[in-house]
Amino acid sequence: MLDARVIKARAPFTIDVALQVARGASCGLFGASGAGKSTILACIAGAETPDGGTIELDGRRLYPPAIPLHQRSLGYLTQDAALFPHLRVAENIRFGLAPAQRRERSAWIDELVERLDLGALLHASPRAISGGQARRVALARMLAPKPPLVLLDEPFTGLDRQLVRELLTAIAGWQRELGFTLVVVDHDADILARLAPRVVAIEHGRTIADGSWDEIRAHPATPLLERLLAPL
Amino acid sequence: MMRRAATVLFAIVLLYPLAGLLVPVGAWRWGDPATADAVRVSLVLTAIAMIVVVLIGTPMALAIARASARERLVWQAILLVSVLVPPLALGILFSLAFGPHALGAYLDRVGLKMTNTPLAFVVTQVYVSIGYYILGAVAALDAVPAALGVQAGLLGANRWSTFRRVTFPIARLGFAVALSLAWVRALTEFGAVVVTAYYPAGMPVAIWTGLENFGLPAVMPLLVVFLLTALPLPWLAHLFAQRRIARA
Repeated sequence: MLDARVIKARAPFTIDVALQVARGASCGLFGASGAGKSTILACIAGAETPDGGTIELDGRRLYPPAIPLHQRSLGYLTQDAALFPHLRVAENIRFGLAPAQRRERSAWIDELVERLDLGALLHASPRAISGGQARRVALARMLAPKPPLVLLDEPFTGLDRQLVRELLTAIAGWQRELGFTLVVVDHDADILARLAPRVVAIEHGRTIADGSWDEIRAHPATPLLERLLAPL
Repeated sequence: MMRRAATVLFAIVLLYPLAGLLVPVGAWRWGDPATADAVRVSLVLTAIAMIVVVLIGTPMALAIARASARERLVWQAILLVSVLVPPLALGILFSLAFGPHALGAYLDRVGLKMTNTPLAFVVTQVYVSIGYYILGAVAALDAVPAALGVQAGLLGANRWSTFRRVTFPIARLGFAVALSLAWVRALTEFGAVVVTAYYPAGMPVAIWTGLENFGLPAVMPLLVVFLLTALPLPWLAHLFAQRRIARA
């Protein structure tokens, strides 16, 4: 279970959001750009340090004190695939596996490679692949160690709809299979709804609604949320 | 056309001093034992100095690269002192600070002499070059996106493993450039070394004393060796770095 309260001072407001997500469940963070969603995820991941609050994952305290990244056991994917440019695609994917695990998990790696259609790219340099391909490699790399918590920060931005559909289906399937807890940030309500039946709406660093998509849509807490949920 | 001619002229002006090697100064005096000694002293002691620079400078560069903006400014200000102090003034300050009326008295008791010894030579070289190495290494580390370190950490790599597997392989050319600058700075140091370590004489001091005592024919061979040991390493490192930047 993820049990977090993130407090982070950030101009022009201070983020203060509590978030509980049961083990194996998924939750979407929804809100306008600049509402603080990505900062919350970055604090949970450890990429940023909160100014207060607590973060626990399956009973383990991640903050405070901020435990080192390598002890967090979570996957974090952002718009920036952040592939290691000096390693080939295959080496990127296997980066998080200890040498002994590489043999044990070869079937799992093969599955990731096949589902994400990375077979032809394994020997390529990250510099030689497209942005969409890089995002798929980053997804495979993140899932290879089978983390108990997966944080997705708008990883589908800029990808074509067909690829997004395939990735959403794959991620949802792997969540059912592996049972990881999933927290997703996206400004696209359709994408979020595909991955997370529960949504937490954030506005100016505060939770303004927490419930199912039907509940949120039926009674938008603020005019801004109503506008964000309105169809184009 | 005019611009091209001007740039070619500028390049010729920059390279022209090397033509001095072709100017007749009388028969060059090869095989002087003092020349071989000076080369050995310079290369061996500078190599030792570079090992010290890397061992101390690399963790310092990592610490500075991870520090807050305010701390970085303080560190840069301190490092720039070692870079900017005029060499001759530094030599005199070193002699005073490590002399018998200061720290030298205590070092002398444990057998560490800080004047005219290999130790004095190496310590002076480390001081004049470590600032260059650290500032260059910090710049190399800054060029590695922070997101890569975050991902490596979340994939289970601790700080050392992240440095070994991700940060250093990406920044290694920057480290090589920083080390080559430190090497040439230490190897060519004259003003401070001539005060702190006149003996054992490295190449710069040997060239100066040879010039004073025996004239150009005696120092030309050493001058050639001096250029060959000082120039190629930073020259090649910079060229490789520029080529990589052009390819990126």
